[in-house]
Amino acid sequence: MIRPYPHNHKIPSQMKFMLWLFTILSVSFGTISAHAVNGKLVADLSENTVSIESDFHGTELLLFGAVDGMQGDDIIIVVRGPDAHIAQRRKSKVAGIWINVETNIWTKTPSFYQILATRDLAKIANEATLQDLGVGATNLALQITPEKDPQETGLAMPTVNGMVGELVANMRALGLWGATTDTIALKEGALFRSVIDLPSNVHSGRYEVRIIHLRDGVPLSEDTTSIAIRKGGLSATIYNMAHEFSFFYGLFAVIFAIASGWLAAAAFRKK
Amino acid sequence: MYIYLPIAEISMHIGIIIGLGGGVGFLSGLFGVGGGFLMTPLLIFFGVPPVVAVATEANQIVASSVSGVLAHMRRSNVDFKMGTILLVGGVIGSTLGVFLFAFLRELGQIDLVIKLSYVVLLGIVGSLMLVESVRAILRTRQPGAARGKLHQHNWLHGLPFKMRFRRSKLYISALLPLGIGAFVGVLAAIMGVGGGFIMVPAMIYILGMPTAVVVGTSLFQIIFVTANVTVLQSVQTQTVDFVLAGLLLFGAVIGAQFGTRAGAKLRGEQLRGLLALMVIAVCIKLGFDLALQPASLYSVELLK
Repeated sequence: MIRPYPHNHKIPSQMKFMLWLFTILSVSFGTISAHAVNGKLVADLSENTVSIESDFHGTELLLFGAVDGMQGDDIIIVVRGPDAHIAQRRKSKVAGIWINVETNIWTKTPSFYQILATRDLAKIANEATLQDLGVGATNLALQITPEKDPQETGLAMPTVNGMVGELVANMRALGLWGATTDTIALKEGALFRSVIDLPSNVHSGRYEVRIIHLRDGVPLSEDTTSIAIRKGGLSATIYNMAHEFSFFYGLFAVIFAIASGWLAAAAFRKK
Repeated sequence: MYIYLPIAEISMHIGIIIGLGGGVGFLSGLFGVGGGFLMTPLLIFFGVPPVVAVATEANQIVASSVSGVLAHMRRSNVDFKMGTILLVGGVIGSTLGVFLFAFLRELGQIDLVIKLSYVVLLGIVGSLMLVESVRAILRTRQPGAARGKLHQHNWLHGLPFKMRFRRSKLYISALLPLGIGAFVGVLAAIMGVGGGFIMVPAMIYILGMPTAVVVGTSLFQIIFVTANVTVLQSVQTQTVDFVLAGLLLFGAVIGAQFGTRAGAKLRGEQLRGLLALMVIAVCIKLGFDLALQPASLYSVELLK
């Protein structure tokens, strides 16, 4: 008996059973067709949509799949969130106080980037292969531009290579970027499963999930799936009201505040 | 139990939010300050984006000020005439402040201007109040000491448009509260606070108002300033988080009631001394933040 995920309370046990049934079936199917297609990979998620509602405090998604592989093969899972512009600021000591002296903008940079793998990326494949696959923060084709004209500020033009280390460290601290190994269980080189951890500060949008199968450092097959994260329920209503009817939203907030203050004062008066 | 804040886009423990609201609400009822200068840094500390913290804070202060004012009104501790004139000045000042804010933003370093004005103003206001209140406390401990005059006469009393403020027992020029209101309004717009921590000492030391009336009157005018800021921020930046504000004010309105009661048991000079200590503590904390080397020289902000 395979132990279900003890830390994952968000996936009901019935559903887990169905998932495993599906996985086992796909594997049987995979073995049959294995001679035809070398390195077939099938993967799916426990859920493809995540609704951010009032009780949202991050969530975990189960990723499961089957691959026509063998013992010792590797799996890399890359979860990439919607692109955003990221402002990176550098502090320096000026006249005894620490102030921001430089701002650079990372354009079209993933707001979320998590890599899960069977072992260290460096052990799975060499740097050239990872670069070809576009896996890893240094292989993302990132772009950086200074916020202000360097001719005005007198600062050196920022380079991607020079600044990417700090970007990774900052994004990692926010829990939005990261790379973890030994987070994929690959059974008999055929069945695999992993848990994608989405923290509560994820941006809404479309998340692309890439699953890559490698053997001896050579990529054999790849599958992609996606997660749609959007605001739902009351959260969505409030967010939309704030953006579409901003004046009335503000007015309502003030009226609500006045009424609450009044009520509290009245309630305390009776005592 | 965690709750997702739709505008701040983070999830926070509900107990932390209500607790913060209650604690700051208590101080707001006690001292007649909105508490923005305490709450805004606290919210940022807990991960709320700074712009959301400033705007949401204004909304919450509306509620705790209403709650506090009603409690002070029952004790007839609100000078509505004075409050209205301060308010008119505040509206003029905060409008100017919004333009100044935009100008400083153009120049860059608005963050630094905000932090430095906090440190300088809190430092000056806090030290002056502490010295004065300690003197007052020492004076009351010396029996037989001659009671000083209600207030000194100086050139400020020679200004035109004199008005009688019965509740404050004052006969002074209307230009004085108007000017103070405008000055505090400018600072309030730049620093994103109600401005009570500047208004309260200005009313005591410049206008010479009795401490008992100062707190209620300050709260009265803060209601209008922060209500204005809430609507303006909603329209311009969409950064007022209604869920966060609602939970904060739930704690704050209750805290403010207890604060007002606690304030009634303390003497004026003790109250001022305590407020001074709190102001100085925040000043020192902000000063250290500027002077000490941060753990990481780099920081990131996700832009939309």
